[in-house]
Amino acid sequence: MITNAAWVCLAAPLVGFALILLAGTHISRRQAGILSTLSVFVAFAAAVVGFVEMLGEDSEERAHASTAWTWLTGGSFSVDLSILVDPVSMTMMLIVTGVGGLIILYSNGYMAGEDEERRYFAYMSLFVFAMLMLVMGGNLLLLLVGWGLVGLASYLLIGFYHDRPEAVVAAKKAFIVNAIGDAAMALGFFLLIAKIGSLDFDVAFTAAEDGELSQSTVNLVALGLLAGAVAKSAQLPLHTWLPDAMEGPTPVSALIHAATMVTAGVYLIVRTHAIFEAASDVQHLAAVLGALTLLVAGLVALVQWDIKRVIAYSTMSQIGYMFLAAGIGAYDFAMFHLMTHAFFKALLFLAAGVVIHHLAGEQDIRRMGGLRKAMPFTAITFLIGTLALMGMPPLSGFWSKDAILASALALGGTLGIFLYVVGLIGALLTGMYALRLYLLVFEGAPAEAHSGEAASGHAGGHGHGEGPRSMLLPVGVLAVLATVGGFVDIPGLISAFSSWIDPVAEPLVNPTVGEDYGTSAIAVIAGLLGGAAAWAAFKSGRELVGRPAVRRVLEHKLYFDELYDAIVVRPAQQLAALLRDRVEAPVVQGSLDELAHGTQEAAGGVARIQTGLLRTYALVLTASVIALGVVFLVLR
Amino acid sequence: VTGPGIPWYLAVAGVLFATGAAGVLLRRSPLIVLLSLELMLNAANLAFISFSRLHGEMDGQVFALAVMAVAAAEVCVGLGLIVAISRRRLALDVDGFTELRG
Repeated sequence: MITNAAWVCLAAPLVGFALILLAGTHISRRQAGILSTLSVFVAFAAAVVGFVEMLGEDSEERAHASTAWTWLTGGSFSVDLSILVDPVSMTMMLIVTGVGGLIILYSNGYMAGEDEERRYFAYMSLFVFAMLMLVMGGNLLLLLVGWGLVGLASYLLIGFYHDRPEAVVAAKKAFIVNAIGDAAMALGFFLLIAKIGSLDFDVAFTAAEDGELSQSTVNLVALGLLAGAVAKSAQLPLHTWLPDAMEGPTPVSALIHAATMVTAGVYLIVRTHAIFEAASDVQHLAAVLGALTLLVAGLVALVQWDIKRVIAYSTMSQIGYMFLAAGIGAYDFAMFHLMTHAFFKALLFLAAGVVIHHLAGEQDIRRMGGLRKAMPFTAITFLIGTLALMGMPPLSGFWSKDAILASALALGGTLGIFLYVVGLIGALLTGMYALRLYLLVFEGAPAEAHSGEAASGHAGGHGHGEGPRSMLLPVGVLAVLATVGGFVDIPGLISAFSSWIDPVAEPLVNPTVGEDYGTSAIAVIAGLLGGAAAWAAFKSGRELVGRPAVRRVLEHKLYFDELYDAIVVRPAQQLAALLRDRVEAPVVQGSLDELAHGTQEAAGGVARIQTGLLRTYALVLTASVIALGVVFLVLR
Repeated sequence: VTGPGIPWYLAVAGVLFATGAAGVLLRRSPLIVLLSLELMLNAANLAFISFSRLHGEMDGQVFALAVMAVAAAEVCVGLGLIVAISRRRLALDVDGFTELRG
């Protein structure tokens, strides 16, 4: 029954995608949106049915595998088309289809009046299918298939505005950076096939746990997985694509680049935790990378002016927390933060989308300000998202982020203390950039640039009030979720979420209740300090980062793009130019030219035999026959 | 049945064939070339029939009939071309037609 529901859940978005694709212009743009929304909500309903069923089961018997058929066979190696439904994938299914459904519903309002909406909704359904494939795949190969498909959907949707050169470049960049991770991951899988001849979860995990694989093999496989996770989740050093990915439509940023796809790396680590535990150095590397990312992204977010880029950097930073948690083995809290983050980050993006929609596409926060009076509902929901992001009690982010910090403290040792301190600094930074964003957008005096434009430009457009109902409803639902989403796991009182995840991935660290609340107090103070700094800067009209030298470094995002440009992009372009000039033109093209030229020459020579004179031909014929006759007679 | 022996017939066939070949090689009028070709074909026919008689088998005679049919078809095409050429008031000279020179 659970597996049936899961198959329905997986198939519904695919059917939606296929229908929109096949119907083409036979359905209106609105119908395409409705079809896409319905398909994802059907998937959500199926996931809920499966979830309720699973809740009724014994906690140790919640893993269900179902095989449709054998997909690939090659010698002794074979891969089934199978799904695995257990609490971890069920959590992801609910998030993907639930939050995804809300965001696609929102898109119906947001994208109204755009060109090519059918294509947009087809891609969105495709994405939801791919993401479900990723989280439900019953073996590593199907996981990789979903992994690649979400990358494709992400590429298509970032480049949705294909007449804007920046969007096309951003799409390409996202695809190439992700391809690096995908390739590393595939190499890890090849190694697994070579060593144990299987990509089944069970076989691979047992081999890793029982020490069947040598330490170096396990390390290499784990490194491959980590590279894939780092690229997909925009962690250092493969993070440069995510801010640029904000070129896509805002709901895409909310769904793919905040709530679901970018958290796939965390899911991967939790899913393959057996391999990572066998390679504990690599696992700790994941934690350190996460910590560095949350620091770097938090710093860069302080000086960004694009509303979506600020949220994008905060996404990187929050996924850094999840990596930190997964890297020290606090899988339940990593998944917990993944879930609450999906709520409040989707909320922030959608609320930002309402603002952008209201201001007819304006994304620069310097031209916003004072919007609270015009858009009270959006302001309140955005504030809820901001406070949840800052980890203020009792909002959802408070419970999940502090649980991660407490786990770092419980881990102890140099690593634990390092991660703990970095996490606290991150909380401080989060308070600063999150509140800065809210204040600049919604408080203070309205900037002159938009006040006239918003009033006049929108009276005749699609704006009475703050936006269409299809946009405000998902924002409201997500605001509620971001508020109450954390109550599923309260230290000392409720551990519903932990005990839900733990049978799949037993955590390596368990913070005590004391550590939990102690950390919470410190983290809240850190967040409040950050908020106070933002408030003070806002009141006095200063920038958060005043020193011009520091500012310049941060505005250049710590020169990562410049660095990659210098060490990878430009050498590659130069090499390509060199190969074109030295190899392609003279050797490849040249040899073909020579071949054609030679053939022509030879043909010219042979053609001279063709005199066109009939009697010459006859003479040649006769002479040949005579010669043959003579030869025949003589040689007989 | 009496009369000249088989070698005589073969000799006649050889002479006819040589005459035809010489005509093809030496004459410039397409009409004569066509006639010479017919001579060569019929020389071959005569040889076929002679050998058929020599070996007492009918294969050669059947072959001769087939050659006649082909020759008739060939004459149709050839004469048609010649008529077409003369209709355009072109010189009837095989050396004049060299469009196929490479």
